Amino acid sequence: MRLALLDYRATLRERKTWLAAAMLVYAVLAIPILLERPPEHVREAIAAWFGDADPFAVFMFVWIDLVMNKIVAFIPVILASGVLLRERDTGVLAVLAAKPISMSHYFVIRTLSVCAVMLTLHAATQLVGVLWFPGRVAGFRPATFLAAMSLHAFSAVFATAFAAVVIVAVGRRGPGVLVALMLLGLLVGLALVGFYQPAWSAATLVNPLTLGALAMRDLAGLSAGTLLPPMLALVGLTALTIAIGARLARRVEA
Amino acid sequence: MSAEVAIEVKELGKRFGGVQAVDGVSFSIEPGEIFGFMGHNGAGKTTTLRMLLGLTRPTSGSATVLGHDIVGATLAVRRVSGYLPASYALPPDMSAREFLHYVAAMFAIPRKVAADRAEALIERFGLSAAADRKLRGFSTGMTQKVGLAQALINEPRVLFLDEPTSGLDPLGRHELLEHLRGLSRDHGVTIVFSSHILSDVETLCRRVAALHHARLIACGEIAALKREHGVATMDELYLSLVRRQAA
Repeated sequence: MRLALLDYRATLRERKTWLAAAMLVYAVLAIPILLERPPEHVREAIAAWFGDADPFAVFMFVWIDLVMNKIVAFIPVILASGVLLRERDTGVLAVLAAKPISMSHYFVIRTLSVCAVMLTLHAATQLVGVLWFPGRVAGFRPATFLAAMSLHAFSAVFATAFAAVVIVAVGRRGPGVLVALMLLGLLVGLALVGFYQPAWSAATLVNPLTLGALAMRDLAGLSAGTLLPPMLALVGLTALTIAIGARLARRVEA
Repeated sequence: MSAEVAIEVKELGKRFGGVQAVDGVSFSIEPGEIFGFMGHNGAGKTTTLRMLLGLTRPTSGSATVLGHDIVGATLAVRRVSGYLPASYALPPDMSAREFLHYVAAMFAIPRKVAADRAEALIERFGLSAAADRKLRGFSTGMTQKVGLAQALINEPRVLFLDEPTSGLDPLGRHELLEHLRGLSRDHGVTIVFSSHILSDVETLCRRVAALHHARLIACGEIAALKREHGVATMDELYLSLVRRQAA
């Protein structure tokens, strides 16, 4: 536990974490400005999907799909790229692998640590948003926003664990990062298909990033009953993903 | 475990594909002994050390460290061991102090004990002024000191050092050798000292094993080996061993 905490603190201080934080701050500050005068094609797309919907619903669509989902395809890969393989490539693992912790155990600790960093960044972003958006986003509802984004945070954590596992499975850092970006990009691209094509709605539930965006379906009636099942599903998927990664990590040699 | 043997290696071998990296190596090391491991680059020294720590799985033979089997009880071996690899890096975004705490946590050493040991090691290696600086800016010699400090944080009973004096200036080397002597003499730490700097081996060790092309070509007391080969220096001894092997 103490090792995980020290690792979390160390990861928080890394340059890449600060880079990710800067991206998120930029997103929070920029979105209200962009939403004032969205590009014509975005305006048309939103009108087609939402008609004259509640402006808050339009904002949530933009925030989840165009901002946080894109970030979830990117930042987790940056964070997870350091798990085991960067340590192996730089020579740090030569020292750490000789300690009384198996490679599987160490992978789990490192992955939980970067997941916690992702969760911290995600939560901090939403909290900054709750302070920044009122008055700048029409019809902004802080409680609904936080409830919807708390579900989304679980998909961000899943994406981080998934990226760590993919990179370790590929076995080489550069190609692993590219494969993780492609796979997460694919999951993000398909995440909201069920909203545009209701006939595919049930099928898209196999996509963990769809689960993270399910709050979009019923923003007016969010409750524990609607949020808890996808949260639990994402926790299970994340645990399963990390368990697979722990098995794969046995192959990594310092 | 026999009280007279800290490390016992029997016919240990490792094959990487078509390459035999270590071939049927056998030797034993007494508790508290500083045991020299010499040989040219690629002779199999590092692979042997890595096998003893369970970092590489042997393809033949067996070995025990303080009675723990290196394959079946890898984590138990590592719990009582310290290791400084020949080639390594330290996490650039951590400070020396943070890194020592991190390594201590890998041994599940309680926080207070870890803090005390880290401070003692920082002081012992003269790192006090740089202890809170990020490791990315450390010189080779400073890095080696932190590397040694991390190898000692668990107060190991066995210390595996792979080329520990490389990168150190003469003063740093002298201090390190003195420190290792103290660990062996005062704390009974068994030290496996692998190096191709033969003067260091001679300065520090009473007994040595020499590896050449993956095979053990000699093992015994340095003085006895010199007498046997009729030579006066370590360089002559090593050359004599290698030439005899070639012939």
